[in-house]
Amino acid sequence: MSTPSVAPAPGTGVDVTGTAMPKHARRQDVFRRQQARLGWGLSAPALILIGAVTIFPICYAIAMSVSNVSATGSGFSLSGITGSNYSIMFHAAQWRYALFFTIFYTVVTVAVEVILGTLVALVLERLTAGRGWMMALLLIPWSMVTVINAELWAYIYNPTYGVLDAIFSHIGLGSPVILGTRVPAIAALMAADIWKTTPFVAIIVLAGLVMIPRDYYEAAEVDGASGWTAFWRITFPLLRPTIALAVLFRVLQAFGLFDLPFVLTSGGPGYSTQPLAILAYNAMFRDLDFGPGAAVATSTALLVVIGCLVFLKVFRAQAGTEV
Amino acid sequence: MKVIAAMRGRSRLMLIAAIGVTAALTATACSSNTSSPAATHSASGSAPSGSATSGNITWWASPITTTSPDPRTVLISAFEKAYPNIHVNLQSAPTDTDTNRASLITTISGGASSPDVFMGDVIWPAQFGHSGLAQPLSSYFPSSYWSSFAPGLVQGATYKGQVYGAPFFEDQGFLYYRKDLLAKEHMAVPTTWPQLESDAAALVHKGLVKYGYVWQGDSYEGLTCNFMEYLGSAGGSALNSGLTQATLNSPAGTEAANFMRSLITSGASPSAVTTFQEAQSMSAFATGQAAFLRNWDYGWSYSQTASSPSSVVGKVGVSPLPSFPGQASPGTSNIGGWNLYINPHSKNIAADVTFIKWMTSPAAQTILGTEFSEIPTVQSVRQSAAVKAKNPVLAIVGDTRLIPRPAQTPAYAKVSQAIYTNINSMLAGSTSVSGALSAATSQINSALNSSGL
Repeated sequence: MSTPSVAPAPGTGVDVTGTAMPKHARRQDVFRRQQARLGWGLSAPALILIGAVTIFPICYAIAMSVSNVSATGSGFSLSGITGSNYSIMFHAAQWRYALFFTIFYTVVTVAVEVILGTLVALVLERLTAGRGWMMALLLIPWSMVTVINAELWAYIYNPTYGVLDAIFSHIGLGSPVILGTRVPAIAALMAADIWKTTPFVAIIVLAGLVMIPRDYYEAAEVDGASGWTAFWRITFPLLRPTIALAVLFRVLQAFGLFDLPFVLTSGGPGYSTQPLAILAYNAMFRDLDFGPGAAVATSTALLVVIGCLVFLKVFRAQAGTEV
Repeated sequence: MKVIAAMRGRSRLMLIAAIGVTAALTATACSSNTSSPAATHSASGSAPSGSATSGNITWWASPITTTSPDPRTVLISAFEKAYPNIHVNLQSAPTDTDTNRASLITTISGGASSPDVFMGDVIWPAQFGHSGLAQPLSSYFPSSYWSSFAPGLVQGATYKGQVYGAPFFEDQGFLYYRKDLLAKEHMAVPTTWPQLESDAAALVHKGLVKYGYVWQGDSYEGLTCNFMEYLGSAGGSALNSGLTQATLNSPAGTEAANFMRSLITSGASPSAVTTFQEAQSMSAFATGQAAFLRNWDYGWSYSQTASSPSSVVGKVGVSPLPSFPGQASPGTSNIGGWNLYINPHSKNIAADVTFIKWMTSPAAQTILGTEFSEIPTVQSVRQSAAVKAKNPVLAIVGDTRLIPRPAQTPAYAKVSQAIYTNINSMLAGSTSVSGALSAATSQINSALNSSGL
């Protein structure tokens, strides 16, 4: 549309009275309004579609979370406004644990993935021969469907014929029950997640790395800076926006964790690997507790949005002071 | 204007109804004279007459067996032969029961008229009946129809005085054992749980087999089935008769849970049993790695099919489950299996009823029993010589003692989750027996009073 240099500063068209406005400006104003109308008209079908498939369900979920919902033969019936769904949720030990587990899982996996991914990207950037092949190889875990990944890991962790079981019993460590014991089960899920998404982080960070101008490093070399100093003073600060982007993507995804535990542990042992998404799914589609289930889903979405906004704000503030 | 339009609409409706009734009468008159195939069929007694003889219906059913031919298509073509004017469209449902239920719930609560008839788990009637997701069936069938089923099955499909599902085929827990290993050690088939435990542990310690006794201990519905069997054998129950309170934190519950944990600590069962579902325990047994197996009725055909792959063909025996000393014998077997339900939005309920009647007729039930080794729900078929001769499992169906899961409450899914999550962490050693039972009790109580998540 119109570029900033051509368009008048925001507000001028409204502040200046019609009589005082120069002729060409008035014409431009009419033109802009026409353009805006055309723009809205052209994007209306897309907006309506987006509204129907995202905004309506989101609003419906919010409405469900604050009313008494019952599934009947003829659809859902929503009655009254109530806080009882949220109160049920807050009082449930299962929800508190799922919240803790989801946050813990997100923090650990995203931290490990960002560190590993950055290291991989640094190696990839220095790679002269075969970088394309390495990248293709690295992307295989990420490009596979998570459910398939999970099934593969299920074979590795299988306690009777699994790969890990074979290795452990071969070196005389017995047969550990990985997915049936709390701490190993959580670690096993994290390992599968990190294996899958580290390449994703690496690719994003690599894109950021190749954007850093070479002459910065040459100047640093002339000044006698060590490789370590160059990394902390040049690479890392300039990578921050890229890393922030990777973290943002990963946090959004990790917070919605569902498929890995669904396939590998179905939330067990007990409910020690039950994330918020599985809790919401079980509440809604297994127990038909649509109200409390919607409350879990809505509050989870809200938490993610708030978390991401806070993260971006902090990160932008820090980046602003340093760069 | 509106009144006239309504009048006109009504009179047109009356006219159509009149034509319909006349046509129906004529058809009946004709069929009694000229004997259509369907009428001949019902007259011969092999299929009860339904209330409709034409239409299209969609049947939602998950795969019954993994073998070929598919029992669902065999039954459908036999049905369509009996009722040539009813066309049945098979819609294959997800094999995972919970996914299957979630799809059905969203479909039916969204008001869809298809599927018309769905095959659903025996633990669904209360939840589906409570939420209006299944059509009450009592009024469509005479009481003589309901009394043709084996005892307990119709009761299990009843919620608040209405039957919601017609029992289609049944399943229950059995004890499978290795005849060759028992003979080698001069052991008798165990009839008590402690005897099974010591035999299993002895076979493992002698190095004759890798695992003694394998069963389903993963954190899922199957563990609730296994727990209910130990609990029932010990003389306990999960809920009180009013379905208002958990009763499993009792001496019987403690005996059952203690015994399950001791299976692992004594070495009779591997500690990996806490991650075993049917598939894992079945494959451990079929590959010759386990001496004893608790499984459903397909355990027999699976272990006797060399292509499964099974290395124990000809070496397997089956018996009812053991019991605890001093309790009634044999032990209790959990009731599993599938019912046929009608979608309340179905546009062709009369044809649905015809279909269900035929599927639960002796003809269809005999096909299920003799051709596919499923346990028939109709008592006369169950006891028929042809079905009993099919395999040793079908021969001992009448000897088992059945126990239902506490599924008469709409909150059953939560009740079951409270059982299997807590028992599973008790089995893994993360919680004590008393801790698991009291946690399960408080979670069940809050589920029954619908105050929990």
